[in-house]
Amino acid sequence: MFSFAKEQEIFDISGIKIGGQPGLYPTVLVGGLFFKGEPDFDTGKKQLQNMLDISKKTGNPAVPDFFIRKEEYIEDITNFIESIVPKSHPFSIDIIEPSLKVKTLEYLDEKNLLSRAIYNSIHVGIKDEEREALRKHTPEMAIIVAFNPKDKSPDGKIEVLQNGANLTDAGLLDIAKNLGIKKILVDTAAMAPGDNSGASIAAIPVIKEEYGFPTGCAIHNVVEKSKWLDDFKSARNPVDASSNINIPLFGGDFAIFGSIANADIVFPIIAWQDILISEYTETYFGITPDDSHPRRKLF
Amino acid sequence: MENEYYPWGGEFTACSPNGCVAVVILNIDYTPIEKVAIYGPLKTENIGVEKIVANVISNPHIRYIVVCGDDIRGHRSGSSLIALNKNGIDEQHRIIDAPGAIPYIENLNDEAIERFQKQIEVVNLIGINNKNDIDKAIDDCIVKSPPSFGKPYIAIRITPEATILLDDKRALHSKIVMNYMGKIKKRGK
Repeated sequence: MFSFAKEQEIFDISGIKIGGQPGLYPTVLVGGLFFKGEPDFDTGKKQLQNMLDISKKTGNPAVPDFFIRKEEYIEDITNFIESIVPKSHPFSIDIIEPSLKVKTLEYLDEKNLLSRAIYNSIHVGIKDEEREALRKHTPEMAIIVAFNPKDKSPDGKIEVLQNGANLTDAGLLDIAKNLGIKKILVDTAAMAPGDNSGASIAAIPVIKEEYGFPTGCAIHNVVEKSKWLDDFKSARNPVDASSNINIPLFGGDFAIFGSIANADIVFPIIAWQDILISEYTETYFGITPDDSHPRRKLF
Repeated sequence: MENEYYPWGGEFTACSPNGCVAVVILNIDYTPIEKVAIYGPLKTENIGVEKIVANVISNPHIRYIVVCGDDIRGHRSGSSLIALNKNGIDEQHRIIDAPGAIPYIENLNDEAIERFQKQIEVVNLIGINNKNDIDKAIDDCIVKSPPSFGKPYIAIRITPEATILLDDKRALHSKIVMNYMGKIKKRGK
């Protein structure tokens, strides 16, 4: 449980606060929809409502993360965002293919949704067409993934943020700022088991002290990629969900926890972790938790 | 023996150690015939590709890689593997002309990549999902009965050198220090 000497940025997106000293704001939880197959909007609607309900109970802000795999899904998914996600609520879009990123940004701009959008993500693979689209249709917030294929240690992650590690023409933070993105979240790029997976957690305090930006990661990806856990099938889900506690414990601000279907388990786990942290950080560092904090909800 | 031949781990099934074909399966449900040396899925255009290269060059009997199924969206891992075999990597370790998002090879040395290019011929079946067509392409390779490439090449995983050495083992990290309560500050400030 930490406190940072560096002043910590706090960003607001549609009323959700993210960042700051540990113990001040609750951990923001990002739950994903439509990872596999055709998007199932009926189930998605129920899962989204369930996540928002549980978020209200625990106090941990919920961000639905929409995975867009194919061009033909863009219109339907952005329509879903427009009509189903509450009007004052942020969301993120998670897209791998650069051409789909470009098209989705155009759709979001057309529908006037960019002010609530978190762009997931900018990384060393950023293409010119993507930069152009981001300049033209700038989202309110972006996740910068500190993945450095040359060096997966915290130092390597800082290197890509700072100077691009010779993989890009500038550091990823400067690239994002030059594109007009003012609110930046840093994702410490969780790797597969056996590939310095712990570095994504160790990097959280390092990056927060270096830059002060809200920081987190998708640590559950490490669990998801584990073959070893195949021998412990009933433990896979609890291990996946509980792996997220490492993020607030190391001072992080957000957890991209995988499928929204896990919201029922992840939210209470993280709310309890936030309470533990807050009890310490208030006593030792004088960080009074915000009114929205789980510590104010569960007692 | 298998462990020696396939030292890098990954999600694969080893079949016939003297088989000349490895099969990379992209996004399809397919099990090749048992005469192949090894088969498995490929997901990422960097670490996934590295594991395949390291594993196949450790077995000199493998002379063909059949890449089949639908390429992984965004990652374009199958096409990146093929590009590596054809073009190698540039000074920044990027696979030349690879279409994937982050196609960097960082854990293999140049010799391993050169060996991969010389030992392996790629059969590009990206876009082909039909079991019979894939089986036939594998059979065509097996019928050629190519000679072994010689000795196994055991690729050593390159690990980045630590740039800063510290005597203070209590430090969380070289860039930060923490006092007894948990207050973090930059080292040297």
